Amino acid sequence: MKIEVKNMSACYGTTEVLHNINLEINQGEKVFIGGSNGSGKTTLLRVMSGIMPHKGDVLVDGREVSKMKRKDAAKLISLMPQTSEVYFPYTVYETVLLGTYASSGSTFGGAGASDIEYAVKCMEDCGILDLKDRHLDELSGGQLQRVLLARTFAQRSPYLFLDEPGNNLDIKYRAELCDKLNDWAKDTTRDILNSLICVFHDLEQARRCCTRAVMLKAGEIVFDGDISEGLKPEMLLKIYDFDVASYVKN
Amino acid sequence: MTNSSKNMTNKGTGLKIAISAVLCLFVLLIAIRSGSVNIPIKDIFAIIGARITGRGTPAGVEPMMESIFWTIRMPRAITAFLVGGALSLSGACMQALLQNPLASSYTLGVSSGASLGAAFVLILEISIPALAGFMLPVAGFVFGLLTVTGALLLASAIDRSISNTTVVLIGMVLSLFVNGIMNLLSSLYSDHSKQLYLWMMGSFSARGWKHCAILFPVCIICFIVLMLMSRKMDIMSFGDLQAQAMGVDAKKTKTLAIIICSLLTGISVAFSGVIGFVDLAAPHIVRKIFGPSHKIVLPMSFIYGGAFMALCDLISRTLLSPREIPVGAVTALIGAPFFAYVFFASRRKRK
Repeated sequence: MKIEVKNMSACYGTTEVLHNINLEINQGEKVFIGGSNGSGKTTLLRVMSGIMPHKGDVLVDGREVSKMKRKDAAKLISLMPQTSEVYFPYTVYETVLLGTYASSGSTFGGAGASDIEYAVKCMEDCGILDLKDRHLDELSGGQLQRVLLARTFAQRSPYLFLDEPGNNLDIKYRAELCDKLNDWAKDTTRDILNSLICVFHDLEQARRCCTRAVMLKAGEIVFDGDISEGLKPEMLLKIYDFDVASYVKN
Repeated sequence: MTNSSKNMTNKGTGLKIAISAVLCLFVLLIAIRSGSVNIPIKDIFAIIGARITGRGTPAGVEPMMESIFWTIRMPRAITAFLVGGALSLSGACMQALLQNPLASSYTLGVSSGASLGAAFVLILEISIPALAGFMLPVAGFVFGLLTVTGALLLASAIDRSISNTTVVLIGMVLSLFVNGIMNLLSSLYSDHSKQLYLWMMGSFSARGWKHCAILFPVCIICFIVLMLMSRKMDIMSFGDLQAQAMGVDAKKTKTLAIIICSLLTGISVAFSGVIGFVDLAAPHIVRKIFGPSHKIVLPMSFIYGGAFMALCDLISRTLLSPREIPVGAVTALIGAPFFAYVFFASRRKRK
């Protein structure tokens, strides 16, 4: 069980944003994807979850992800977006329940009793059960973020791609998020280890949640290894072109 | 926990649906009853009862009443209802698929295509004997579908993922272009332009059972297919990328739904001319009352749109009786202020 990315490139229009990426992520790994704005982090998550065209191979458990049926791919991989526009004000509960679409057995029908129970568990885990009847357009940014996280959990996939899950969260929830993600990685209900692949801008969160760092710069992987190595001041200086260490001290 | 999870569907939804259904039947009944001759409600029930049990004209009902009821009022009201329902059903879907509360299949050029088809028939005086009185509807329908197909093909040639902005823009561009051709034609052949103009304004006058017989099965089949897609549509309304990530094939779903919506719109425009607004107003009001979940929005849009159209048709034929006002004008004249009220009232409340 692993994701293999081989000689992969991806572009928006004629602009190539990822160049010749090679990466292997094993089941149960907790990977931090780092890099400055525009370095290709979000694109990497999109390509690996199979929702963006690419050159080269992206194999999930041996199968090319872009050739899989969307529903089958979504059973293996979930992607939490950076943010979501609210076009239609579903309730929190309805939104989280939609996450169970891929994993629930029926093609056409609605959610079953087990889906409902699971969605409730996800809402509980993300601390939004008391918001369940609120409409999405009545939520704060941080609350919406937790709804998206719960919906991603509800998808029940062993690979979770999270694009800046800490956005809009206050410091307490950021700390809690780390604990939740670590809990979620050890999936006791199914007795497996889920993989987390996360983009963070808060390096403290990265340190707490992840064990491996993959650092991108201008669409290429410049570091792949242990997180303690990846977050060293010299490395950060190289990645962000900025003296992170002295910024944090002040 | 099981107890709380069972009670999670919105309380009172059942009651609201029941009230809506009763209200809609009531509107339909009023629409059938009223006109230049009012048919007593008890006669309506007597006639329907007699028809169902297979007896002739019931005692105490004038044969003339029965004939007005059965051959004029009833099919006309039902046609209006089905057309209104079909239009708002397709409006509801298009808005979710394109994540745009102002979208409808009119946006994609169905109505302008249909109008151009009608213009060809009227101006060139084409008639195919086998189609008899259905020449205008068939031409309208075919041209409407052709325009949408053209819009979709063009959109997918330009943008392989068929993004919403592309679809809407291409649809609008093509609509305007097709409208231009039609205006050109109608100015060149101005002796036909009044007839064309009347068709474009929309009317249910002289719509009979033969129209219902085509509309009804189309509506039912399209409704069932869309209902089966309702959960996908819920997911699609979060945008294509999120839908893809959650396991919905956005392109496939969008294409199928657009085809079904064009069919619904095409057949409506073909039978009644271009009637705007109901496809915007009805789904919007339904979402305000029931929330955005499509499992409920789709059937309720059909009912609300249908009742609204039956009501507008009633007004169009009674307000300046014996003259008839184009029903398209009525829907806009009533619909626009009401829609604005609903839209802005809820906005104010939120602020």
